[in-house]
Amino acid sequence: MEEIVRAEGLRKTFTLSKKQQRIEQTGETRRIAVDGLSFSAYRGEIYGLLGPNGAGKTTTLRMLATLIRPDGGDAFLAGHSIVKEPDKVRDIIGFMTSELKLEGFFTPDYLFDFFGAMHGVGQDVLAVRKRELFSRFGIDRYAEVPVKNLSTGMLQKVSLVISIVHDPEVIIFDEPTNGLDVLTAKVVTDFLAELKGMGKSILLSTHIFSLVEKLCDRVGVIIDGKLAEEGTLEEVAKGDLETSFFELYHRIKGDAV
Amino acid sequence: MKLLALIKKEFHRFFHDPRLIITMLLPGVVIFALYTFIGEISYADEEREYRVYLSGDSAVVAVIEQVILESGDKVEWLPLEDEEAARREIEEEEATAILTFSENFDLLGEDARVGIVYDGSSEEGLTFYSVASSILIGVGMRFPIEEEAIGDISEMGTDYLSSILPMLIVSFVFSAAMSVTLESVAGEKERGTLATILVTSAKRRDIALGKIVPLSCISMLGALSSFIGVALSMPKLMGVSLGTFGGYSVWSYLLVAVSILGTVPLIVSLIAAVSTLSRSVKEASGYVSVVMILTMVISLITAFLPAMGDWVVAVPVLNAVVAMQSVLSGGLAVWQTLVGTGINLLFTVLLVFVMTRLFSSERVMFGK
Ligand SMILES: Nc1ncnc2c1ncn2[C@@H]1O[C@H](COP(=O)(O)OP(=O)(O)OP(=O)(O)O)[C@@H](O)[C@H]1O
Ligand SMILES: [Mg+2]
Repeated sequence: MEEIVRAEGLRKTFTLSKKQQRIEQTGETRRIAVDGLSFSAYRGEIYGLLGPNGAGKTTTLRMLATLIRPDGGDAFLAGHSIVKEPDKVRDIIGFMTSELKLEGFFTPDYLFDFFGAMHGVGQDVLAVRKRELFSRFGIDRYAEVPVKNLSTGMLQKVSLVISIVHDPEVIIFDEPTNGLDVLTAKVVTDFLAELKGMGKSILLSTHIFSLVEKLCDRVGVIIDGKLAEEGTLEEVAKGDLETSFFELYHRIKGDAV
Repeated sequence: MKLLALIKKEFHRFFHDPRLIITMLLPGVVIFALYTFIGEISYADEEREYRVYLSGDSAVVAVIEQVILESGDKVEWLPLEDEEAARREIEEEEATAILTFSENFDLLGEDARVGIVYDGSSEEGLTFYSVASSILIGVGMRFPIEEEAIGDISEMGTDYLSSILPMLIVSFVFSAAMSVTLESVAGEKERGTLATILVTSAKRRDIALGKIVPLSCISMLGALSSFIGVALSMPKLMGVSLGTFGGYSVWSYLLVAVSILGTVPLIVSLIAAVSTLSRSVKEASGYVSVVMILTMVISLITAFLPAMGDWVVAVPVLNAVVAMQSVLSGGLAVWQTLVGTGINLLFTVLLVFVMTRLFSSERVMFGK
């Protein structure tokens, strides 16, 4: 199996602002969000980073997407270092989170072309991809409707399609179904399954067991910024994912749930 | 090219949204309506009559008369026989001004001289002075205008155009730049659409330029609209005819245009940088308003402190205000305009660089 993502001892420490200290009622001024995290994901598979709130999932994925720099360690996506070649990495990944928004004023058609240009995709290739992806996900009928007028489900589809406008090798997805109603969530999970069918490699983070069970080939459990366990879904679930997770959690954290 | 796509997107956003276009052009219309209204009230039934003593002759006299007649006022030319008596009449507000031309003035030789003695304490005196002097400036720069005001000069009047207009222009640029830049930079950051662009492999510098270049062009349009609003309402407001504008030479226009062209990108990039640092449009507009008010106050002070040292050219924005003031009051401030504009462009480049750094800063873009 070929490694497509390899994280090697990733570390990230944040300095907490006064305001944040107040909100979280803590006196500490520094927070180790990711603490020497290493893991590997393989080509053509869906890898799930499973962890509770504050475990460091978002921070990890942001480092992989080169939006923030690790303080230590490195990661390689299709062989490119996130520290040394962030521009290269940005062109081979598609990054999705609920925080990334599309300007409501523009149409899917315009945005597809715009983000294609942002990734340096040639116009001919872009036109072909647009036709193919828009018809595959039923966007073609809404291609000229301003994004702000689309239904939530359709908007989600458009966001997904635009995040893969440049045909990335790796798709990184932070909390794919967070905050979505069941219908929209299904749009997303179907989309991910479809991408896997197209041979893409996917890295997602979540705290939802059922999502992991439904989609993931391999799982990394992340607790307090460290990798607690890693393996295929069967290896980690040992029959029941939820039970195994809590056993692991108690072993590491004691009884403080 | 990615920069081109970014610039196009910004223009597309603006020119396909009637709401934005209206917001941008509205100030000009409002200014016109408001100033005209104020003008109507203050000069409603007031038809001014100028009594001007004239010594010597020039074709300029006819031009001045034409301008005055066009703005609905009257002028009576009296031959100057006894200057002492004429000055006394001005002091007693019975005459408006004394205009003296040297012999063969219209040949504009080395020895061409012109003098204006006017009533600095009356509306008529000030208006006549500003009309006459701007027309004279338009004729040519080679002769000095000997001017003298009798009585205390009332503050607003002396030379409305030269002292207030530059400040007005800067404030138009500011508000035009604010209305698009805050929304486009702070707004996009707040709504998370900027982050979507940061995820792509577009260069941070291109993203910064992709904002500043188009927003500067758009702000220029807005400032122009306001400027036209003022220009059109000027006759009503000041009782000064549009002819006053025509009184300047092409060079003066060019210099003022250069000053404006140098200021717009500077102000836009300043607002853009502040917007990038802020978390929301609201926060950004708070900071920018402070900067704007500060600039206005400083500009206003310079309007009444005519003799500033050369150091002013080193102060961004203010240098443009001062340069425009000296151009509009008749000097061809080439040096001041060019050096000032150069310095403003330098600051703009610096701010683009700062913005590039801010876009790369995870604390600014993705901090909690
Ligand atoms: N920009 C930041 N500044 C300061 N602290 C941060 C920042 N980003 C994250 N943190 C802190 O780092 C820790 C890990 O956060 P992170 O968002 O990576 O967790 P997560 O696993 O994504 O959790 P969640 O399920 O809540 O999304 C948290 O304690 C968080 O408060
Ligand atoms: Mg998270």
